[in-house]
Amino acid sequence: MRVGLFIFLLLPLGYLSAELFYFQSAIDPIKYIYTFTGVAGMVLLFVTTTISLIKRKINLVPYRRQIGLFAFFYAFLHLSNFIVLDAQFDMNFVIKESLDKPFIYLGMSAFFILLFMAVTSVPKWYAQYYSYHKAIYVVLLLVTIHFIMAQKSLSQAQYGYLFVIAIIAFFKLKQRVKF
Amino acid sequence: MKSLTSNDITPKELFDNRRKFLKLGVASLVANSALVDLLAKENLPMSNLNYVKDTNPNNLTLNSFEQITSYNNFYEFTTSKEGVKGLAHTLKPKPWSIVVDGLVEKPFEMDVEELIKKYPLQERIYRFRCVEGWSMVVPWIGFELNQFIRDAKVLSKAKYIRFETRYDETMFPDQTRGIFATIDYPYVEGLRLDEAMNPLTLLCVGLYGKTLENQNGAPLRLVVPWKYGFKSIKSIAKISFTDVEPLNSWQKENPKEYGFYANVNPKVDHPRWSQKKERVLGKFLKQDTLLFNGYEKEVGYLYKDMDLTRYF
Repeated sequence: MRVGLFIFLLLPLGYLSAELFYFQSAIDPIKYIYTFTGVAGMVLLFVTTTISLIKRKINLVPYRRQIGLFAFFYAFLHLSNFIVLDAQFDMNFVIKESLDKPFIYLGMSAFFILLFMAVTSVPKWYAQYYSYHKAIYVVLLLVTIHFIMAQKSLSQAQYGYLFVIAIIAFFKLKQRVKF
Repeated sequence: MKSLTSNDITPKELFDNRRKFLKLGVASLVANSALVDLLAKENLPMSNLNYVKDTNPNNLTLNSFEQITSYNNFYEFTTSKEGVKGLAHTLKPKPWSIVVDGLVEKPFEMDVEELIKKYPLQERIYRFRCVEGWSMVVPWIGFELNQFIRDAKVLSKAKYIRFETRYDETMFPDQTRGIFATIDYPYVEGLRLDEAMNPLTLLCVGLYGKTLENQNGAPLRLVVPWKYGFKSIKSIAKISFTDVEPLNSWQKENPKEYGFYANVNPKVDHPRWSQKKERVLGKFLKQDTLLFNGYEKEVGYLYKDMDLTRYF
């Protein structure tokens, strides 16, 4: 099951690589990598929060860490795209843009929270840092704003994502705050 | 590839009947067969326009016909750049007449076919830079807008030219969506009259030797190579001359981010992203963006003493 899940979570990367290098169908490759890795990471993050939401019905909690780590992996590819292809290792540019442009510093902040969560997800530290993992909600908020700000204007598919996010947020709030 | 001469251009009558010929399986009789092979190999369209070729003095590397016609911002169809091509068939570019009104001696209407007959066509190989950060090089076919303006008998009061994309819900799906539409329609753009008179400004009817594909703004569009792509309005239905600065669609949509001028300028960032570099379509690495998209020599005088940060 775990191996199956591992392969399943690698599929987006396989698809992206095929599009980029085998079919060479991405007309604007840097943009395509951003969109693809960004959406993959964001979807997986929302999947991890949904797991605790539905754990009484279907218990997928044992797989949550693996999915969360893959979300981090796609976020890492997303950031690598910024540094390697977009900025071509011009670290002055990376730092300046990260401080200058709200949409980039929101994304950066989200990445560093995810990095902290990934590191402290090893069993030894998890017990100690468990409560800090609530920061996932900050990440979800940052990532959603980052995603909206990256667009010139929102498409219908993007409104679709936001609609699903709103539903998850609603049930999440309902679960945590007893009405 | 080998350069084409006007002898290689398929006569219009034959072109219009091309499907019939193809069905008969005698396509090779239409033009010399080597040319047909070449077009197929390079994935180029059959030429159907007569024009003077651009010598490409700047040695720009063209983007492919496939790239230029598969990655389009045309919100009347969809906001997905890859999605426009598949939806654009609802646009019917023929017949198509444009209205010319406002501060002219006498308003008039003219069919695009007439325009093509009236003005000798030229190829112009221009850089094209989108405000979103990508760019391409396109061999446009058209004529200088200043020729058209001279014939329109514009009154001396006129200071600006305003363009409108066609409003027709049967052709443009996003126009039917009412309050759910992505932006307000019809799409509007404008130029200062001296910008419009600059010899680089083109009224465009084709690219790669062929009349415009729907997704590229058939049958008539504007091309202003030193400004961000959104200034180069597509599928024009109306041209008006006015004495007030037109409120262009993107400025109306978000005045903090988009202005009237929209000159390509690596030193003036978009509030949300940098404009210093650009992603050339089809490439993994970026290149530097040039002031006025590399046309400073030709258009710099238009903005002398102007604060380009304020008039972005």
